[in-house]
Amino acid sequence: MIHLRGISKRFEGKRTVTALERLDLDIARGEMVSIVGPSGSGKSTLLNLIGGLDRATEGEIELDGATLSRLSDDELTRVRRDKLGFIFQFFNLLPTLTCVENVALPLHLRGWPRAKIEARTKELLNLVQLGHRLDHQPDELSGGERQRVAIARALSVYPPILLADEPTGNLDTATGVEILKLIHDVHERLGATVLIVTHDANVAESCERTLRIRDGRIVEDIRRESARSSTEEPTRA
Amino acid sequence: MMLWSLISWPYARKHLLRWMLTMAGIVLGVGVFVGMHTANRSVLSAFQETIDRIAGSTQLQVTAGEPGFDEDILEKVQNVPEVRAAAPVIEATVATGSGNLLILGVDMLGDRSLRNYDLEDTDASIDDPLVFLAQADSLLVTKTFAEKSGLRVNSRVPMRTMQGDLTFTVRGIMKPGGLASAFGGDLAIMDIYAAQKFLGRGRKFDRIDVALADGVSLDEGIAKLRAAVGSGYEIAPPSSRGEQFEQTSRIYSLASNITSVFALFIGMFIIYNTFAIAVTQRRSEIGILRALGATRSQIRALFLGESAVAGLIGSTVGVLFGIVLARAMAGYIGGMLTEVYGVAQRAGDVALDPLLIGGALAMGIATSVVAAVIPSRAAAAVDPVKALQKGRDQAVSERENRLRQWTATLCAVASAVTLAFNRTPLVFYAGFVLSVVAAVLLTPALTLWLARLLRPLLQWARPVEGTLAADSLIQGPKRTSGTVAALMLSLALVISLSGLARSSYEAISDWTRIALNPDLFVTTAQSVSARTFVFPASLGDGLRKIQGVGEVQSVRSVRVNVKGSPVMLLALDIASMEQHAKLPSVQGDPHEMYRLTAKGEGLMASENYMRLHGAKFGEVLDIPAPSGRLHLPIVGVVRDFSDQQGTLIISRAAYVRTWNDDSVNVFRIYVAPGAQEAAVRQRIIDTFGKTQRLFVLTNGDVRRFIRRLTDQWFGLTYVQIAVAVLIAVLGVVNALTVSITDRRRELGVLQAVGALRQQVRHTVWMEAIAIGVIGLVLGLSLGVVTLYYAVGMARRDFMGTEIGYSYPFDTALVLVPVILFAAFLAAIAPGEAAVKGSLVEALEYE
Repeated sequence: MIHLRGISKRFEGKRTVTALERLDLDIARGEMVSIVGPSGSGKSTLLNLIGGLDRATEGEIELDGATLSRLSDDELTRVRRDKLGFIFQFFNLLPTLTCVENVALPLHLRGWPRAKIEARTKELLNLVQLGHRLDHQPDELSGGERQRVAIARALSVYPPILLADEPTGNLDTATGVEILKLIHDVHERLGATVLIVTHDANVAESCERTLRIRDGRIVEDIRRESARSSTEEPTRA
Repeated sequence: MMLWSLISWPYARKHLLRWMLTMAGIVLGVGVFVGMHTANRSVLSAFQETIDRIAGSTQLQVTAGEPGFDEDILEKVQNVPEVRAAAPVIEATVATGSGNLLILGVDMLGDRSLRNYDLEDTDASIDDPLVFLAQADSLLVTKTFAEKSGLRVNSRVPMRTMQGDLTFTVRGIMKPGGLASAFGGDLAIMDIYAAQKFLGRGRKFDRIDVALADGVSLDEGIAKLRAAVGSGYEIAPPSSRGEQFEQTSRIYSLASNITSVFALFIGMFIIYNTFAIAVTQRRSEIGILRALGATRSQIRALFLGESAVAGLIGSTVGVLFGIVLARAMAGYIGGMLTEVYGVAQRAGDVALDPLLIGGALAMGIATSVVAAVIPSRAAAAVDPVKALQKGRDQAVSERENRLRQWTATLCAVASAVTLAFNRTPLVFYAGFVLSVVAAVLLTPALTLWLARLLRPLLQWARPVEGTLAADSLIQGPKRTSGTVAALMLSLALVISLSGLARSSYEAISDWTRIALNPDLFVTTAQSVSARTFVFPASLGDGLRKIQGVGEVQSVRSVRVNVKGSPVMLLALDIASMEQHAKLPSVQGDPHEMYRLTAKGEGLMASENYMRLHGAKFGEVLDIPAPSGRLHLPIVGVVRDFSDQQGTLIISRAAYVRTWNDDSVNVFRIYVAPGAQEAAVRQRIIDTFGKTQRLFVLTNGDVRRFIRRLTDQWFGLTYVQIAVAVLIAVLGVVNALTVSITDRRRELGVLQAVGALRQQVRHTVWMEAIAIGVIGLVLGLSLGVVTLYYAVGMARRDFMGTEIGYSYPFDTALVLVPVILFAAFLAAIAPGEAAVKGSLVEALEYE
């Protein structure tokens, strides 16, 4: 599903900072992978590259058959639009739009007919248990509710890949657990490939696979038979 | 200073483009102010220089307005014991193949005691003035003109004179400097009696230049001369001609002041806007400074200091721009004044006035600082704790909104009340200011309301892009309302100026139809207003004999000084005027006024004379004339556009009697019934064209000439319109640049969830177009009010003529696509900026 070959990312400035160094990675369809590591290790950079938000300095990323480095900006946007859903730490909802409008945003951008958009947005907001908050604006919602809206927006076209950057990082523990449960639920019901960047050990351990990154390299790739419990002993690759 | 270098400069450097756009209003305002005033000053200074150089050692000049006076006055002046030297002068500007040439007719016998003719390559004979006199075709030219025209001593110069085509001979070439540098060097000297023939002046002089005997003061000289020549003459130093010229150019100074003030006023909103946004964006920075111990006054001083620096930079660039503008405008204004008022000057270089430049710099800085007062107070009031919390603070508080709306309502009501009592200028202008203030204060609320109205429409057009564009306006009132206010004011200005121009054109067109209805005009030049040459009255008799000529009106138009101001005196056959071209009466019995004027028992004044000079119906005017002072009551007020300073109409008989001048500027000819206009015209040319300098213009030619003059006058209006629209467009660019910075994260999210770059551009473009639509709605509406005041101002202070209120719907219709297109153009660069740059950084942007 996702294949990375020799991926490096360097930021040029007064001095060059290497965020990722010759990284290889394969993620199978339907896998749920967490990416952990200390701040500045390159985990968010990795997620941004896989999500087509940024371009690698070297190497190739293949995403569901599409080689990202060969795509123009607009082609990259189409890949994001059709194959990816993003969940951000700070939700990144548009503050002026209602829940329905935020969720409908990617569908409008795809040019869907209004009736179909309306049906899909209601279905998604019901899925994230916000059917009663359709016309509320983000500032009228709690943090957890905002993240639910963000998840609904990420799922709007039922993308095969879901990318989450610290999805519980801005939430209290109880809400974080709820959101994590929702992501697992979506993963199971839709069979989507999910990548979660997190600092939270519970979140990481809840995934069937965890990548540990340090200084731009994958230093550990842990696979778990059953990821539902964080108390189980992990299986090292 | 430390705060400035640590805080302000890095911020300014980061937002360089925005600051440059912010300063644009100041640049244009100061630029127009410096440009127009420097141009006016340069023209005036060139005029003064020409006067000085021609004056030589002249201390006093004896004049009697444009008609001049009889030769015998010279003897009276020369007989005054206090006069050391007195020499007659005729001065006129004529068009030549090498441009305008100033002809100075002098009496070489006496003139050398006043002026120094420093000659080179001279024919020895010219050193003797008697020889110069004896050869009536003698001409002295300057070296500058000789080189320009390829002339040498003894070169023959053909000229079309009032006595047919004559050939003059260059007898001498004056060395550059002194007299020879007057009028940019385009000067020729001829014998005064030759000049009389050449220009058709009969036995008249334009003026007598006088040098007083040693030890005689100017006041004493004036008193003695007045006693000798009578009170109908004006006796003043040469420099006083500059003052008269200044008066004639006063109206241009006023117009340029209004443009500058408006440009600065609009610029003020853009600066306010930028600072209001800067305060919002720098809240956390202000919070940190406050937390670290900066006092409120230090924060306030920081922002006011930034605005002063922005004002200084903007004003400095504006001054430089103004100097460039002045170079372009000096020729234009000078040309217009020469054409309309016949005053000779040649503005070669711009004359810079340190005081004007200092004033302009101060004005620019003051505008910038005043604009930043409210935002800097807001910055000083920032709560450090709240400021350090994340989140935007864009919404206008309810309390602030209510206060604004209440103040706006009060201003609007007060403005409406002034309408009932606006007879005095103060109340009138207060009403104008109050209505504009009310509109400006209401702008945020109206912008919000209109943006909400537009949202469904934009959403319908483009569900995502349209919604985001509208929401951006709704959510960023501080960001938008300043720009909308600037756009609104600019458009209101455009509507006012355009409406004024339209009303004026309509009024002038009506007047032209009534007053200038003769079929043919026999003139001495291609310009109807030129008064350099004059016809002898006898030509009228000759014209009457031409087959097909029905009626001939002899018209003499001269500028005379009445109550210290140069006014146009129009002398013609009043009975014929009443029959053929009866001007609309504004005050007085329409028949009685013509009857009394025809009898020489009164005069008719134009409406603009009455208003601009504060004259009253029935008032007896004291008009200086060579035969004494003419006292005539104003027996009627008519609508007439012959002259911007006002016109006095008297009977030709009274004029001829009083000025002893039967010459004619224009013969107006009504073709006999059944006669062909073209055939009559050709007959006139065939009969007189070879022996007489003469032009026969058709009614269409004259109308086109008037139209061209009106266009020239409104040429300044178009400059004002261009400045207003330019500033408004810069305001839109500024608002959008800020908007995309403000919404960087939002636009990043949009791209992250799948918006193509074109869709992001569409959002920015739609926001610009929405600003344009809101600005158009508010500006075109405010234009209804400002046009009312503009028409009032024109009536009171500029034209002095009653002109109708006519909303320029055609201009409004043109403005819609122009502004929307300009808004779209303004959005292109910000739109590109929105899709460039790192998406990752945009998503992390706070």
